[in-house]
Amino acid sequence: MIMEDQERTERYNEDALRYSEYFKGKIQTISKVPVRSLDDFSIWYTPGVAAVSKKIASDPDLSFELTGRWNSIAILTDGTRVLGLGNIGPEAAMPVMEGKALIFNYLGGVNAIPVPIRVKSREEFVGVAKALEPSFGGINLEDIESPKCFFLLETLQKEMNIPVWHDDQLGTASITLAGVINSLRIVGKKIDQVKVVFNGAGAANIAAAYLFKAAGFKMKNMILVDSKGILHPEREDIDSLMINNPWKYQLAIETNGERVKGDLSNAIEGADLLISAAKSGPDTIDSRLVKRMNSDAIVFVLANPIPEMWPQEAKENGARIVATGRGDFPNQINNSLVFPGVFRGVLDARAKGVNFDVMVAASYEIANFVEDPTEEKIVPTMEEWELYPRLASAVASKTVELGLARKNDSKEGFYRRAREIIESNRNIYSKLMDLGLIKRMPNGEHKD
Amino acid sequence: MVNTKIRRMKKEDLPEVMDELLRLKRLNSEFDCSFTVSEEARPDIENYLMKILNDESHVLLVAEYSSKVVGILIADILFRIYYTPKYEARIREFYVMPEYRRKGIGRMLIDELRNTLKEKDIILITAEFPSLNLIAQDFYKKMGYREIVSIYGQTSTNGPCP
Repeated sequence: MIMEDQERTERYNEDALRYSEYFKGKIQTISKVPVRSLDDFSIWYTPGVAAVSKKIASDPDLSFELTGRWNSIAILTDGTRVLGLGNIGPEAAMPVMEGKALIFNYLGGVNAIPVPIRVKSREEFVGVAKALEPSFGGINLEDIESPKCFFLLETLQKEMNIPVWHDDQLGTASITLAGVINSLRIVGKKIDQVKVVFNGAGAANIAAAYLFKAAGFKMKNMILVDSKGILHPEREDIDSLMINNPWKYQLAIETNGERVKGDLSNAIEGADLLISAAKSGPDTIDSRLVKRMNSDAIVFVLANPIPEMWPQEAKENGARIVATGRGDFPNQINNSLVFPGVFRGVLDARAKGVNFDVMVAASYEIANFVEDPTEEKIVPTMEEWELYPRLASAVASKTVELGLARKNDSKEGFYRRAREIIESNRNIYSKLMDLGLIKRMPNGEHKD
Repeated sequence: MVNTKIRRMKKEDLPEVMDELLRLKRLNSEFDCSFTVSEEARPDIENYLMKILNDESHVLLVAEYSSKVVGILIADILFRIYYTPKYEARIREFYVMPEYRRKGIGRMLIDELRNTLKEKDIILITAEFPSLNLIAQDFYKKMGYREIVSIYGQTSTNGPCP
């Protein structure tokens, strides 16, 4: 299993290097208006364009009607926590951001522009993000170290009039919640009664804890565990957390109603759910600990590339449902099921922001998309195209309901619009590929 | 917070008070290496607290909640030879357990200090804490205090830490 995985990863690495050298980047800008003759430049550019500019000057919101702003987002990163590679800088973050832009475009029909930036402080980051607002309908923060990412998300959500999303927090949390909703349906347990253990207290799990709260889970029934053990208010590092990571500090105060101390083995006693986003496995967590959980245990081991314990071992020790971050096991908890649809939705509703209530609605839509959830199928897979417009319409409708939308439509209307945009975009893409205008892989290599 | 009682510190409180004092000091050490905590100091600190417990020139208070010490305040009364008023009370130690913060216990401790000082006709209260302790900074600003003294430091070897 491990060898196979190792070999596969190495092959992907080699391919990625070779193809990147060949294609020299993954995205480009391409015009979308006809140019019948050079005369048309007088429409698209000066002198004609001046009339459009004057109009927008009189009402800046018209930038969403008369330019491509309505469908454009920035993928903003400082390169401080890229994948599992750490602080490798903005230049090295670009390949990842280009890949993200590709997925945004391919699955959600969103024009996503990678913007890795060099900034010295979090305040400078805030300044850059705010300065970019006039050009975009949304901001996707990506691969930013914790706890800076919490500060940036909170500050920018408060101070900007377009939706700001940090995918490592919100995307992961949303798809995790979706999987948990269906898991609880399968085992017949109730959200407000289950005990949840979060192993790892980084961006994803901290956001998940807050999202679970918004979804009705009881904070006192949650326990967070990190490298220093169970989070509780009397832990020695709590005081410095109050200054350095108030988001984690607040969880230390509000969770763990029984004030359990110790490590994961103490926390997991009688738990219904284990959500682990910790170090790559396979033996990060002793799978025998699953035995101490409640019956019908639900185990999410989300570390990449190797889960904290192998799904088979979790099952042997009593887990009824297991999810991982990988596509080669059942139940892949994958952000890509979330962000394309969410952004399609907030852009179509021209939302001013996105919040936990919108995310809970998104998670339910994803969960409901799986018509007959089973232990081996708690979330959709990426191939299920229908998910993206459905998620978009659920998200758009929720922003209307919450007064966050600047454009009103029915759920059905939002669905049609999202579907049309995504489909038309996909058509362009496949045509370009069919015609060979998007080059084939070098030496006619085909996907096997 | 209801059911919280502010009272003078007693000898029986010392084990809990010591724990909280050391938590506070270890937090300070995170701000600046010149506040590195001496781990052998515990008996000396205990002796010192015993000595000043009933001393007129110190005020030692605790916040008690369901028979647990959840906050402490220790102030020294200083004579000001050059200035008027002639006396000030300087808060040197001040700590509320994390779980009991944002419930008004800090303010209750300060209020009780002010009451105690009233009996002694002392109207000036100052507070001392590491410059980088933003929790303390925020708290005192919220209480209406302003910055009045700065202390700068350097070791004789010119290194950043002793």
